[in-house]
Parts: sequence; C-alpha cells; structure tokens
Amino acid sequence: MAVDVARRPGATEPRRGSASSRAGLWVITGLAGIAILVRLLDPEQFAWVRNFLIVFGSLLVEAMPFIVLGAFVSAAIEVFVPASAFEKIARLPRGLQIPAAAASGMAFPVCECGSVPVARRLAAKGLAPSAAVTFMLAAPIVNPVVVASTYVAYRGRDTVAIMVLGRLALGFIVAMAVGWVLGAVRGDQLLKQRDAEVEAHEVDAAERRWQRFFGHLTGDIVFMARFLILGAAIAAAVQTFIPQSILNGVANLPILSLIAMMALAFIMSLCSESDAFVAASFTAFGPAPQLAFLVFGPMVDLKLGALYVGTYERGFFRMVVIAVGATTLAATLWIQVFFG
Amino acid sequence: MKRHWSPARVGAGLVIGAWAGLFWFVWAAGRTSLYLSTRTAWLIPMGAILMTVAAVGRLASARVERTEHLGSRETVMFGVIALPVVLLLALPPATLGSYAAGRRSNSTGIAASARIVSGPIDFVDIAAARSVKSAAADLRARAGERVTMDGFVTVDEGDTDRFQLTRFVITCCVADATISYVTVVDAPPGQVANDDWVRVTGTIYPLGSDILVDAETVVPIPPPDDPYLTP
Repeated sequence: MAVDVARRPGATEPRRGSASSRAGLWVITGLAGIAILVRLLDPEQFAWVRNFLIVFGSLLVEAMPFIVLGAFVSAAIEVFVPASAFEKIARLPRGLQIPAAAASGMAFPVCECGSVPVARRLAAKGLAPSAAVTFMLAAPIVNPVVVASTYVAYRGRDTVAIMVLGRLALGFIVAMAVGWVLGAVRGDQLLKQRDAEVEAHEVDAAERRWQRFFGHLTGDIVFMARFLILGAAIAAAVQTFIPQSILNGVANLPILSLIAMMALAFIMSLCSESDAFVAASFTAFGPAPQLAFLVFGPMVDLKLGALYVGTYERGFFRMVVIAVGATTLAATLWIQVFFG
Repeated sequence: MKRHWSPARVGAGLVIGAWAGLFWFVWAAGRTSLYLSTRTAWLIPMGAILMTVAAVGRLASARVERTEHLGSRETVMFGVIALPVVLLLALPPATLGSYAAGRRSNSTGIAASARIVSGPIDFVDIAAARSVKSAAADLRARAGERVTMDGFVTVDEGDTDRFQLTRFVITCCVADATISYVTVVDAPPGQVANDDWVRVTGTIYPLGSDILVDAETVVPIPPPDDPYLTP
C-alpha cells in the first residue's frame, strides 16, 4: 500500500506545501483561541461546559495510556513476531480458534481501548478475523482485573456470585457468538484500509527494525486517538446533559429494563474495570439488567463505536451492535427469569 | 543520499509529545486526583513515560531519504488530536459540583467497610448504608453520635437552613462518579451556596433512606486536594 510521494509531480509540491502551511496556521490559531476562551469562561454561568470538560478529560486521561499500551503491543506484534506464527494458528479449525481467542483474553488485563489496536494487528497479521474480534470483545470482560473489580463492587450482597460468574460466563458466550457470526470473513474484508499516503509517512519497509517499530507505534496512536477523542466527546456530552435517574421508571419492566441498562452502558462509555461500581449503584434494577450493563458496555459503547468505525469496514459496527445486543438480551432474559 | 526531516513524522512526534507533556504536567502539578482515583493514579506516570518514549522514538526516526509533504488533512488531524491537550491545560483546576450531582446516581459504597461499626463515619459508609441492609443497621446503631464531615453544598432553592452535603465517589475516573450525601439540617441560614466546600460538625441521625446531620457548626474550607473519594 506504500506510495512513493517523492514521485508526485513536482509542480504540485509548492501548492501542497503552502496549503498545509495555511492549514497549520489555522489549526494553531484555532487552538490558541479555544485555550483563551476556556480560560475566560465563568464557571458559575457555564457549569455544563466545566462538567463536560472534566468528564471528557477524565475519559481521555484514563483511556489514552491503554491506547498507547495497546499500540506498543500491536507494533511489537507487527515488527517482532513473524507472520508464520499466526499462519499456524490460522490453520486451526475455527471451532478451536474462537474459544482459544476468548480464553486468551484472560491473560490481557487492559480495558477495551487497549484491545482494539491489538485485535486489529492480529487480524492484519493473518489471524482469523473472527478469532481476533472474539479476543477483542472478550478481553475487557474476562481478564482477572475486571473479575476482581466486579467482585469488590458486589461484595456483601446476595447477588455477588451471580454477578461475578454471570459476567464471566456471558463475556465468553457473547464474544464467541459474535466470532461465529463473523464466520469466515477475511482480514481485508474486515479491516478498513488506512490512508495510503499517511501510511507511507509512518513506515518505510527499507528502514531498520526499531524505526519501523516506532512508525507502527505512532501510526496506531495517531489513528486510534482521533476516534477515541470523538467517542469521549460524545460520551461526555451525554453524561453532561442526560440525568441517570431518567431510567428509574423502567427498572421493574422485564425486557425494557435490560434494554435501558444496555443503552445506558452504551452512552456512559465506562472503563470495564470500573463499570461494576456504577452498575451496582443502580439498586432499583435487578441482577439481570445490571449484567446486561456489564456485558454490553465493554463490547459496545460510544467511545468504542468511534474506534470500530475508524478501524473496521462499514457495517462492522452495526453487526457488532446487533450481535452483541441480541446475544446479551437473550442471555440476560434467562437470568431475569430465574434471578430477577 | 541526503536525508530530510519528514513533516508528517515530526508532526506525529510533536503531537504525541504534547500528550506526554500533558501527562507530565498533570503529574507534576498534582492534578491527578482531578481526573483519576487513587486506584488508577499510576496511569499518569505510565502514560507519560510511554508517550515520551513514543514521541522521542518517532522524532529520532523522522529524517528520511525521500521528500515528504504534510497534507492539509493530516495537519487538521494533528490539530484535532492536540485539542484535548490544549483544553485540559487551559482549564483551571476544577471538580464536578452541584450541576453534576443532580445528574448522577447514588453510590453504594463498600458493604464490608469495618469503619462503619466503630471508626469515623465517612461518605463511603453513608453510601453503603443506603444500599446494604447490614451497613444500614451498623449506621443506625451509631445514631446520635457526633460526626465531622467535609463536602460541597447542594442546596435547593427556597431552603435556608437545610442543604445536602455531598461527595463524589469514583472508582477509576471521574466519568464513573456516583454521589454520596447527607442532609444537613439546622444550618445557620443563608451562609452557604451551591458548590461551597464546608466542614460540618453535628449529630448524625439515620432515618430510613434519609441520613440527617443536625449541624452544630458549618465552617467554609478550601476544596481538598483529593476532591473525590475512592471506596
């Protein structure tokens, strides 16, 4: 996919240079203007702006290190792990690959933002996309840190076993179900092609290994960061304007309570390592709606939606929303029948 | 062959460097607690180090043999990625307040807290008492005890000697904040306003789901270094 930009017609180069200089000037002026505006803002009059910026900032400050960590792992896989290693795994029957991918999520204790670049790289290196996506969806739920945080959040309640074991089991089931739905789709059908020119700036195949490592690393960070920023902005806006109490009216309605909690998880875009504490605070809701919140949220939310749209081909996000939503709903309905 | 600085690589290095700078600033200025809980505070130095390594690595490999140009789209994209850095650096130290308190659900604290039985009562215990029967019973057993609690004020319009003393409880970051509060009664009329930080000393009376503190003194205090509680 690399494009040799040096061979572009020389006549266009000065125009390109001046256009990018103008764009740079606008960007710097715009950033400076925004900084001054934020500084001059009266927090008494614009409490919602302050609220938005605090939530937006905290989402980013928490998620960015995980994105960067995921990008380090992703770049290391690209540069240091030979493609033949993944070809061997890819030759295994899908019936083995998908459960193995879900189980390997237990060894990757990061939240959902970190698993996206890793899954993307695994699929690009030749792992079956269905297995890579299964890993991506399972890891944020089945890893030991999340299991422990779920236990701590529900410790002392009668429902602690249902919540911890239920979340773990549903995490595996839903992730594997989505893997099966994806079926035999190929990597090039699933992964969005990156901008050829941008990619050419990131990495040159003739470079030394450490240079290629940093090329892939920073390319992944820049690529993921813009979608993370978009998702965090939407999530912060929703958190700023929509009160959480809006859902209390449906707490006792059988199916609506499940859908409402899944919708809430979608818009809140919480880290999977902390969402159990928020789910536990919805005491009006029973274990099943809380489980729906805890299983759906780490797989599909606004922040992740932006990352998925940027990473995968059109239709992937819609497919994940439908597959994860339907499987979570079906599974938690059974739990609602037995445990409320 | 002559090597040139690649504007795209330098741009990527600088933008990631700006993020690294933000993380170093948050860490050095003691602002970690404005965004993250004590449990996740380690993310700030870790993020700062990782992003510094990434930025330095990119800049070190930014000289290339071919001529490269930075497109307008890439320039704008770098601006978008730098925008949160600018916003967070420009924002004066601030915490969630009464505006957010009205939009958040109640915290549940930690049910197994031993402090609620004999230690000083805090907002995490109050939260637990609202959601767990055993914790509520433990708190009821301490009705009539003198307590001192720090928090910010949320006052309903028209109330003069009654307000809610509130703290946010966070687990990982501010986005997961939930609230814990007590209702302060018999406060000196008209002395507090929304978002004021105060220290209330008084007598605690758990009455069902409402937990009252009959105020003896209400003293203004500066916002604490750790405005959010972590269970």
